[in-house]
Amino acid sequence: MHKVITRKEFLKSVGLGASALVCASAGYGFLGKDDKRPKSVKGHIFKNDAPKKPWKWSVEGFHYATDGTTVQCQICPNRCILEPGDRSICRSKVNIDGKLYSLTYGNPCSIHVDPIEKKPLNHFYPRSLILSIATTGCNFRCLNCQNWEISQMKPEEVRHYELFPESVVSEAKKRKTPSIAYTYSEPITYYEYVYDTAKLAREAGLKNVLVSNGYINRKPLIRLCKYLDGANVNLKSFDDRIYRSLNGGSLQPVLNTFKTLHTEGVWFEMPTLVVPPYVDDTEMIKRMCGWILKELGPNYPLHFLRFFPHYKLTRLPATPIGTLKEFRKVALQEGIRYVYLGNVPGHEGTHTYCHNCHKILIERKGYLIPQYNLENGRCKFCGTSIPGRWG
Amino acid sequence: MNTKRFIIWSIIGTGISSVTTQLLTIREFLSQFHGNEITISLVIFCWLLLTGIGSLTAKTVKRSSLRTFTLLTLIIAVWPLLQIIGIRVFRETVFIHGMSPGFYPIFFYIMIAVAPYCLLTGFILPYAQKVLNDRNYPFRSGDLYLTDSVGDITGGVLFSFVLVYWLKPFPIIAITSALLICVTLLLLFSSRMYVLFVSCLVLSSVFYFYSTNTFFEKRTLASQYGDILQYFESPYGRIVISREGDQHTFWESGVPLYSHSNVIRSEEKVHYPLSQLDRVEDILLVSGGFGETLDEISKYGPAHVDYVELDPFLTDAGLKGGAIKKVPFLAIMNTDGRRYIKTTQKKYDAIIIDLPDPDTFQINRFFTSEFFSLAKKIMKKEGILSMSVEYAPNYISDIRKKKLSTLFNTARLHFQNVIVLPGEEAYFLCRDGELWKDIPSRLRLKSIKTSYVEGFYYGNVTDERIRQLEESIDRDEYINTDLRPRLMNIVFHEWFTKHGTSPRYFLLVLFVFTGIYLIFMKKEEYILFSTGLATMGVEMLIVFAFQVIYGYIYLKIGAIITASLLGLLPGAIIGNSLREKGKARNKLLLSEMLILSLLILFLIWVAFFKSEPHPIYFLAYCFFFSLLCGFQFPVATAMIGEKSSPAAGCFAADLCGASVGTLATGTILIPLWGIRAAVIFLILVKISSSVIILFSGKIVTSK
Repeated sequence: MHKVITRKEFLKSVGLGASALVCASAGYGFLGKDDKRPKSVKGHIFKNDAPKKPWKWSVEGFHYATDGTTVQCQICPNRCILEPGDRSICRSKVNIDGKLYSLTYGNPCSIHVDPIEKKPLNHFYPRSLILSIATTGCNFRCLNCQNWEISQMKPEEVRHYELFPESVVSEAKKRKTPSIAYTYSEPITYYEYVYDTAKLAREAGLKNVLVSNGYINRKPLIRLCKYLDGANVNLKSFDDRIYRSLNGGSLQPVLNTFKTLHTEGVWFEMPTLVVPPYVDDTEMIKRMCGWILKELGPNYPLHFLRFFPHYKLTRLPATPIGTLKEFRKVALQEGIRYVYLGNVPGHEGTHTYCHNCHKILIERKGYLIPQYNLENGRCKFCGTSIPGRWG
Repeated sequence: MNTKRFIIWSIIGTGISSVTTQLLTIREFLSQFHGNEITISLVIFCWLLLTGIGSLTAKTVKRSSLRTFTLLTLIIAVWPLLQIIGIRVFRETVFIHGMSPGFYPIFFYIMIAVAPYCLLTGFILPYAQKVLNDRNYPFRSGDLYLTDSVGDITGGVLFSFVLVYWLKPFPIIAITSALLICVTLLLLFSSRMYVLFVSCLVLSSVFYFYSTNTFFEKRTLASQYGDILQYFESPYGRIVISREGDQHTFWESGVPLYSHSNVIRSEEKVHYPLSQLDRVEDILLVSGGFGETLDEISKYGPAHVDYVELDPFLTDAGLKGGAIKKVPFLAIMNTDGRRYIKTTQKKYDAIIIDLPDPDTFQINRFFTSEFFSLAKKIMKKEGILSMSVEYAPNYISDIRKKKLSTLFNTARLHFQNVIVLPGEEAYFLCRDGELWKDIPSRLRLKSIKTSYVEGFYYGNVTDERIRQLEESIDRDEYINTDLRPRLMNIVFHEWFTKHGTSPRYFLLVLFVFTGIYLIFMKKEEYILFSTGLATMGVEMLIVFAFQVIYGYIYLKIGAIITASLLGLLPGAIIGNSLREKGKARNKLLLSEMLILSLLILFLIWVAFFKSEPHPIYFLAYCFFFSLLCGFQFPVATAMIGEKSSPAAGCFAADLCGASVGTLATGTILIPLWGIRAAVIFLILVKISSSVIILFSGKIVTSK
């Protein structure tokens, strides 16, 4: 008699059927779920990548610890521990024979004159021009970086100018710009160059502006604040997971930076790039505004910037303008007095309104200012003092 | 119907399923990752290589089992569905949402995603032959090759000319797996394996439930696109319209094409060129007609705007969704832009090219010297041509310097004046007449109001930035031509730099493994390896050359690939029938000489690229080339002798050769050294195999 099926065959068949069903249901279960898995794009130390000797544009690092062989950079929260021959996450610091060196001192790769509004800074000497410089390097790995060709490069990999601190000051004087911005890449990574330049600039009557991700330790920041006049510090989101997955950093040190700038009396503004679907959560924005109000007060301007696909983050849509408008409304309702929209030309959210009488103080058409209704830092209409640094 | 027939039908079914799944997988990866030639080549490379390895593993099988064969066949039938779902779902799990990964992550992801299916399909063919032979059904390797070719051709034709026009991927899988599922069930039933039959029937029902469920298919895309309003599959790619709050975004093959209110791009693209003109009547827009573009153009009061967009599905969706404004002066033409420029009799005041950076052969054709020459012929005397490429305003890296310089020098060959404006992208304006850099003042003269240019131009496009950009142009840099796409190579290089990787290690490993494989390969297998390499190489060259001359016309490209597949069949039939008659060595040598002649003919044509042959010549060329390839397989297996079970090794050699040929030609040789160098490489490879036949006394037909 033909045996219909053996036990082995039966088990095989059941196994096959069950696997198929499990695969199908498992596949289905994946769909539409939010991925809660933490992913980090944090950078890594470059082992044995340092030059043999410091080069012309090297200077010994300002804040570091050493046991004579290994060094620890203490400028930013990455706190890179470098063996001899290693290079830091930001690519700018190296351990050469037990000493920490910065390789970005006096060798900017980018020098431009920009309108101050481009930083963006809306409450800092409007209509003025600013000499903007950058060397290579960044302690983050933002997936949407606009300047990745300098921020994600080593100093030796780019063409650069030679402009030591005193020359930067003379260049600013020559170009008749009242301020100097340390910008484009991440100035914290060329801290020594920024510090020395800012000191000389202050002595020469120039203003110093830091355009940064705010990922810096308190001690070096306090030291730098003595010479800082303004800052534009990105508040990329209010969620540590997003900081890790889109930027390769963490939130708390950035919040600490805001507190330090506030207590040290440095004027600052906070841009937030609204990356959908990461940073487009209204509840998160409410929490963010709550923190700002509690820790910093209502006066520091908040900028919501429209995201466009860029660099490695190219498979996301642009931010809906409706989301930006909604965030602006929420932030104003929560009590932030100055909330702007960026990358949305022609929108009313680009103008400055008096927080008291709500009339237009500064009308902006791009970088042009057709209306300027401030006198000595006060509203022309109601006399209210407007927070900021005004000429 | 007996078991033999069922097994033969399953071989045909495997061919249909594998070709269709390969095409669907390429399209899927293009929508998931970067849609350039690197991704296409990587998928084809992984596919052929893994299938080859699968074939090779069949060599180790001593005994065959009909039950195992039947179950494997069923798995091959249902796996494509799981594969496509897996690619979509795990992409979001493995990578950060919205991120474009680099070369190595893409490579490994492709490798892992396609491995189960490719290994299985590679394994099943020689295994099928073993099953047949073990049951005393004589089935030679040549027969196997022939039968598989029938399936491949059917699958290719079915997909390229029928299914792709009407169906989405899941129903396509449902249809192309049908034969395999039927054969499996019939085999089980006729072999009286009833419980397995019922289990497989249940599995097949589950498979059909999901593969024909459109809601389920749409849901598998939700993690990538979010809230999907509409989803189409056109022959050219995937079109999705998603909703983010009050905004609608149009996606083309995974890339956001347009979201509402992209004022900056629209204004730069339109006003930089049009403000230069005194009178704007006729405008040709090559792609990029979405959104505010037409609003901005309408400020000049044009008489006609001809908007050329390749994909009719895209423009239809744009018109229906309101992303393309219905204005009286607009005429939409769904054809290849270059083909249109070549054939139109109209003359234009302005040609605005709005295409991404040239990272494919298809797009590179709009940035070459030959293209500028064609474009100039349809421009009015004072007409202007504009285009843009990516660049960073704050620092111009060496690779971007190269890109800007190459494009500048290429355009400068045809236009008296070329300026580059450093906007959000680098905008190239080309004209024989005068060009102005102060765009806002030109707009004031014309009383044209803008939101972005008026307010931001003087802060962003400063004299200093213009000067820096001009100074970065190297007048000694090479030019970009149709047959030597240097710009594409530069854009590849830029892509690698962006991801901080280099293909160096990959190529090194590939080189070493190929070397090891060649050492252990039989001489006959090397001949098939080299022919597989040359066939895929030639297919890439022909598709590339055809596009240059005739444009990217889906049907015709499909016809070329079909002609390549079609040639295999008569080749295999002739090879099979002649294998026993006379000296196989001489036949192989003759075919080698004919292949070499065809390659030399191609080289002569390329070297003296004066004529533009009728498309039928391309088809004929592909047909005859693959005919020779098809001819060699049965002859080579006959030379090895059926006792040595040559099918596995020969299939593996053919497939591995094809994988190396794809990669070498498509991503290295053509972009780096041009089409001529690629043909010379293929000639050298075939010379090496001819020399092996010529000087090897050991190759004799086994009796």
